[in-house]
Amino acid sequence: MSEVRIALVVDDSRVNRLVLTRQLRALGLEVLEAENGIEALDLVRAHASAIDVVLLDVIMPELDGYDTLATLKADDATRHIPVIIVSGVEELDSVVRCIELGATDYLTKPINARVLEARLNASLAAKRLRDLELEHIEQQRRLTETIDRQKTELSRFLSPQISALISSPEGEQLLAGHRRMITVAFCDLRGFTSFAEQADPEEMLGVLGEYHRMIGESIVRHGGTLEHFAGDGVMVFFNDPIVQEDHVERAVRMAVEMRSRFEDLGAGWRKRGYELGFGIGIAVGYATLGRIGFEGRHDYGAIGNVVILASRLSSQAAANQILLSQRAAGMVEEIVDVESVGELQIKGLSRPVSASNVLVLR
Amino acid sequence: MEQCTRRDKPMNELETPVLDAAVLEELAKSVGGDREFVVDLIGTYLDDTEGQIAAIEAAVAADDPAALVRPAHTLKSSSATLGAKRLAERARALEIAGRSERIDDGARVDAEQLAQDWREAKTALQEWMARSDTS
Repeated sequence: MSEVRIALVVDDSRVNRLVLTRQLRALGLEVLEAENGIEALDLVRAHASAIDVVLLDVIMPELDGYDTLATLKADDATRHIPVIIVSGVEELDSVVRCIELGATDYLTKPINARVLEARLNASLAAKRLRDLELEHIEQQRRLTETIDRQKTELSRFLSPQISALISSPEGEQLLAGHRRMITVAFCDLRGFTSFAEQADPEEMLGVLGEYHRMIGESIVRHGGTLEHFAGDGVMVFFNDPIVQEDHVERAVRMAVEMRSRFEDLGAGWRKRGYELGFGIGIAVGYATLGRIGFEGRHDYGAIGNVVILASRLSSQAAANQILLSQRAAGMVEEIVDVESVGELQIKGLSRPVSASNVLVLR
Repeated sequence: MEQCTRRDKPMNELETPVLDAAVLEELAKSVGGDREFVVDLIGTYLDDTEGQIAAIEAAVAADDPAALVRPAHTLKSSSATLGAKRLAERARALEIAGRSERIDDGARVDAEQLAQDWREAKTALQEWMARSDTS
């Protein structure tokens, strides 16, 4: 906003225009002049955002003060410009009518320089406030735009649940840490490490890309929260931050879908000479969830035995196996056929755990 | 809007001075004591007023009250600004007549007096300018 204020003087009397213009310039304003309402409206339309105040005579040829005022107040682009009516002392009735039409104030001729200054300052202050308000609205709009852009950008890096969580009212509380029962699914590729050693980096990234795209689609379809990617290893959990009554079932359905889609993917790779298998481990239990990491780099993560168990089951799974912990298997026995794989010795756990492989969805 | 009272009598010029010099002094004060500006302004007024007087006389001659309003209003307004009070008062009476949509006898007398008032105002303003020049 410029510091120089611009006034538009509208009066058909050249003498009166000269006097008012001179007085306004003495107060530091720049002045535009119009002889009648039509000229005034043309000037306002050409400089609407620049004109800070209009000083308007009432009786004029072509277009009088009333019609000029009414036109200014009917247009969104000019409504906010303060209009001060300049009239003879004996015309107070017309002043009242103008105030009703939206005029800000009035001055009587002959114009006293000090009264002019006072009325002008009041109108300009109101205009300045209005301009600041508009500026504020514009800033607010730009801020919202930036936030929306950041959200979109962020959602490319985070799972959709997490980016939604960050902007939600209860986000801060959930991020701060809470305990909840969740289902954790780990999946990774058998033979990936030796493949990565032999393959060209371009080949390897190509294979990883196809694999991530496939599992990414399944994770989204079943509403899983992606915790992290680490090469071929992927950790997904369910029932947090969005509560899902059927979290175990969702994890199992996702795993079965992934396994079936992997058959095509693996077959394609085999033709190109890559021997890669796919295994999944699923466990249910309580975990602590929230912001994990350090200033500058945080993840939304889960910590607890359930995470370790799912990870270990995944490492123990042979190609094409979906290993469920005993508790997880018990919670989905209605929907899947499983076979026991006996008791597994899990690193870090004192007692062996029994696990089952998912055969088919019923 | 001002009262559109019907007047059957012309204004009484004896009640109103031709020129109220205090208005001009006040005007000069309001532009930071710039008398030269006021002198120029009077020059502009003298140039513009001829046309307004002619328009008023034409409107009265044509018995066209609507055509009377604007030139009478403008003349009233600029005359008042420069303290030419009697002319301003005459113009005001004519403006009211124009608004009443009937040019009555009183208005006709006012119109006849207009040229005289104008001459007197012009002389008084020129004298004021001359005084300003020498001071």
